[in-house]
Amino acid sequence: MKSLKLTRPLTAAMFALVALGAGYVAPASVGMISSAQAATQSNLGDLTPFRAIAVDVASIVDKGDLVGAKKRIKDLELSWDAAEAGLKPRAAADWHVVDKAIDRALDALRASTPNAATSKQSLTDLIKTIDQVSGKN
Amino acid sequence: MNTLSTQSIPNWLNKVPQVTLGFWIIKIMSTTVGETGADYLAVNAGLGKAATGSAMAALLAIALFAQLRSRRYVPWIYWLTVVLVSVVGTQITDVLTDGLGVSLYLSTTVFAAGLAGIFALWYQSERTLSIQTIFTRRRELFYWAAVLCTFALGTAAGDLATEALGLGFQLGVIVFGVLIALTVLAFYWRANTVLTFWIAYILTRPLGAALGDLLSQAKTYGGLGLGAMLTSVIFLVVIIGLVAIAQRNANQAAMTATAR
Repeated sequence: MKSLKLTRPLTAAMFALVALGAGYVAPASVGMISSAQAATQSNLGDLTPFRAIAVDVASIVDKGDLVGAKKRIKDLELSWDAAEAGLKPRAAADWHVVDKAIDRALDALRASTPNAATSKQSLTDLIKTIDQVSGKN
Repeated sequence: MNTLSTQSIPNWLNKVPQVTLGFWIIKIMSTTVGETGADYLAVNAGLGKAATGSAMAALLAIALFAQLRSRRYVPWIYWLTVVLVSVVGTQITDVLTDGLGVSLYLSTTVFAAGLAGIFALWYQSERTLSIQTIFTRRRELFYWAAVLCTFALGTAAGDLATEALGLGFQLGVIVFGVLIALTVLAFYWRANTVLTFWIAYILTRPLGAALGDLLSQAKTYGGLGLGAMLTSVIFLVVIIGLVAIAQRNANQAAMTATAR
């Protein structure tokens, strides 16, 4: 069989890529290793920006504005989704717990006929979940 | 890389590209673009995962049909198909994991076994796994089935590394980069060409994802903070540039071949 055209440039590029990656990441990964003990206590890090949105959505629900709450919770969905690659590796199990809680709140507010009490309850649970996960360290 | 592909025999009957540096750059970047693109439609555009999934599967069917119908290697059709396979392969794993609650250990094992099965059938039927001689319908179908399986496997294995080992994108870039570098070394040490190609093909999936995350994630999380949108645009521009070059070369090769 003919050999593939995987020639020197590829090797060079791969090594360059790894070297670049190593140069950029090495200091950070040393930090990650030294904080590994803290991570075993399960630590997603700072979740206050997400908690703040949840609190805000809950207050909008309290005002009886379920349409406005549905609109506002999208900010939580987007920012949570965008941060997944950064947060999840820190504590995957905790991440899933919070993720499911957010899903329940999204489902409640996006129901065809959203119920204020159910929505409020899902948000209270979500805030409680975030606090529990944050309080572990 | 132009010189590399023109030096080679103008085997424009082969319906898949020569494996050049450009090939791997497009392959790695198409992973990121595919994923962020699907994510954008599902979350930002609010289409939801189900609608996005069906739309992508339909688009893949169209692109694959065009790829199978074309008589020779047409770069833009080929790479469009790869991007869509990347999206759908990722979505298959996501549906299994998030939707059906299948464990990542199980899906990784099943996809690995599935890929081995495809290769076994391919070899049994064709007596070769060469990617240099994809010129029959059957070989092409084997090729694309294997590609789809590598993307699903790469997604599941990458997610498993994140979940079980807490492997973030920073270490991920290094780990998968080193594994690919080892594969390249093995290739130069006369390891089996086809085997090293497919191993690299699987590993570039999680590498592409980690690389995309490294650029897009916020600085708080150790990324460069470019955001998903900008990262995708940069990658897309590079992909379009490289595919345009490949398309021009392919057109020239076709013209020379017919002129002869």
